[in-house]
Amino acid sequence: MVDVLPWTSEFDEYLRDESRSTGDADSISFPRTEGDIRTVMRSLYGATGPDGRPVPVTVQGARTGLAAGAVPAGGHVMNLSRANAYLGLRRDQTGSYLVRVQPGVVLAELRRHLARHTIPCAGWDAASLAALEELYAGPEQFFPTDPTETSACIGGMAACNASGARSYAYGPMRPHVASLRVVLADGDVVALRRGEVFARGRHLTLETEGGRTIELDLPTYTMPATKNASGYFVADDMDPIDLFIGSDGTLGIISELELILSPVPQVSWGINCFFGTEDDAIGFTCAVRPALAHACALEYFDAAALDILRRQRERSTAFSALPALDDAWGCCVYVELACDDEAEALADLARLRDILAACGGSEDATWVGRTDVDRECQRFFRHAVPESVNMLIDERRRTDPTITKLGSDMSVPDDRLRDVVRLYRESLAAAGLESAAWGHIGNNHLHVNVLPRDAADYAAGKRLFQTWARAVTDMGGAVSAEHGVGKLKRDFLAVMYGADHIREMAALKRQLDPYGQLGQGNLFAVDTCEGGA
Amino acid sequence: MHIVVCVKAVPSTTEVKMDPKTNTIVRDGRQAVVNPFDATGLEIALHIKDECAAAGDPCRVTVLSMGIPDTERLLRDCIARGADDGLLLSDRAFAGADTLATTYALSRGIACMDEPADLVVCGKMAVDGDTAQIGPELAGALDVPCVVDVQRLHGIVGSTLALERATDAGRELVEVDLPAVITVAKDAAQLRMPSIAGVLAAEGVPIAVKTAADVDADPARTGLSGSPTQVVRSFVPERASEAVCVTGDAAEQAAALVELIEEACR
Repeated sequence: MVDVLPWTSEFDEYLRDESRSTGDADSISFPRTEGDIRTVMRSLYGATGPDGRPVPVTVQGARTGLAAGAVPAGGHVMNLSRANAYLGLRRDQTGSYLVRVQPGVVLAELRRHLARHTIPCAGWDAASLAALEELYAGPEQFFPTDPTETSACIGGMAACNASGARSYAYGPMRPHVASLRVVLADGDVVALRRGEVFARGRHLTLETEGGRTIELDLPTYTMPATKNASGYFVADDMDPIDLFIGSDGTLGIISELELILSPVPQVSWGINCFFGTEDDAIGFTCAVRPALAHACALEYFDAAALDILRRQRERSTAFSALPALDDAWGCCVYVELACDDEAEALADLARLRDILAACGGSEDATWVGRTDVDRECQRFFRHAVPESVNMLIDERRRTDPTITKLGSDMSVPDDRLRDVVRLYRESLAAAGLESAAWGHIGNNHLHVNVLPRDAADYAAGKRLFQTWARAVTDMGGAVSAEHGVGKLKRDFLAVMYGADHIREMAALKRQLDPYGQLGQGNLFAVDTCEGGA
Repeated sequence: MHIVVCVKAVPSTTEVKMDPKTNTIVRDGRQAVVNPFDATGLEIALHIKDECAAAGDPCRVTVLSMGIPDTERLLRDCIARGADDGLLLSDRAFAGADTLATTYALSRGIACMDEPADLVVCGKMAVDGDTAQIGPELAGALDVPCVVDVQRLHGIVGSTLALERATDAGRELVEVDLPAVITVAKDAAQLRMPSIAGVLAAEGVPIAVKTAADVDADPARTGLSGSPTQVVRSFVPERASEAVCVTGDAAEQAAALVELIEEACR
């Protein structure tokens, strides 16, 4: 039984997410089961609000998103954090383990349960329990998608096709999802298992569990050949499961997921490589990519990011555990190796030494993390950068509450890495803006953060991002590589795909959600989607 | 200067697993790490080595451990971080040693080194045993002075070490003539990470592994037979908590609280 609760101030935290945007809403529900989700959707399907328009329904998980996808645009908030059960486990024909979960399961908890062999299994059938016994007896398994924010929930991660540092080797969330159950706007359900149904060209036929047949015309655009979380995933003859992953809560509500687990690498080493100049770091990245077969992450921290860490280490005891940074170090590339044994890792380390020597680095200006303590230190180093920037912005907001952090999430093809970094540097300098950049350089995907000092800086930063969206699109890149588009980046999506393709996306949405209720304001503006059943 | 750093392999502090039947720590090589207090000791030693290098003085850091053969992996990691060489005392004869027998074995290892130790650095204690006895006992065995719970190294002049140590009353500044033994607090320093150069170079450094016979250890003073400590039982303490609700006005609650505290202190 689930209640649709009228809005009171006790729910105000559900108006916000990690993007620090705030919305509004009239009611909220906390479904625990797929049945609860269907009940709520049946009661809201086609319902109108006081303004006579269909009631928007915004689906939330842990609200850790950075694009405001979970920030409500009025109407109803469906928070799925209490739908957090582990439902079963099986092995497929390749021997992989697949764990079936509800969308509210939190990533950090999933990791902990896998590592400690404590997956809650009450009520599981005999086949699942047998598979669980096998799982615990065999090599340790993990779920490879690793967004920085581990309090993210699995449903939200699927909704924005989340990535993380290890996406360099493992890709984004999409290929690690074997099946989905999706509740549609009318409360009907679509069950999708990867590899069972495919589109014919750009036409897709879906059968619902309620016995309906839905014919869908897919948008006609070609997606960029880069890391990409911008708009709907569409391709000729595609698997429909891929359409719903990364759809930002606009096509349906994910009520169940089956996740493909992978064996934990036997040897996992992290290496921080420090450079004097950004140019050397880029040269190193380009050289490492083809040479290092076992790299699973290539991350970057620019000079401003390192300076922020130096200051934090001096000023705050909370950051005193950060290792000391030599003043000569101007930027850093973090390489993570996932190897079968130590001999393999040592061979890669020797390759890194040679590449460093050829690219202006030094084998001495490195940190190699091989123990739990050292790897934790490296993790702290990586996560301390965004945390410190958030603290800096919060400090500045005390004097000017209108400003907030402006973080880019764009990616480009491999051969445009130097071009895009040059673009960032030249335009930031021309605008006189303070910034810090870090992120997934292996995927040519940097989070360039403008650090506004006042409202004028904030406005200039927003203008700059719009020009970057155009330039990155021209380079064959994506305006959102991992955060999703949500509400904050829909203008960029329009730049990337153009008005005609945005209308195609809206038309696709209307075929599944005729009243345009789900995830209203995500991907495109409300009026783009209006049509009615 | 020759500095010997004693290191112990302990279970990883983040994931200690207990055997539910025997209530003992499950020890397997994969989870072993250098005792965090000893890691700090290594950093103190490496810092002295850096200072000596800057002054043009020679300094050698040797890491010493008693343990299973896999402990060699941890000693090699210490070398990757800047130690020069390692000695592992590994022999079934050392098994079951208490702190006295361990100290004896370590003192034999130091005595058999090719260069006398000017300074022996130990962690204040080990995270799995918590005895804090090895450093002082080792000083006794070597017949040198001992400074325990060192918080900070102020400097070294000639053969005198200036240190700051914690006491019950606060901090104490101490000067000690070498040779000496010091034990260090965990927060006294943060162990540096190894570099690629360090890791690759350490792979080629031979680590001496010696038996009890190799270091002329008296069998009656090693391992179980050299250990007067008798472990009667080890167990995981049960966690118990009890809530008492205090009611009434502020004065009544305060009085009830005082009574509860007095009762607990009886």
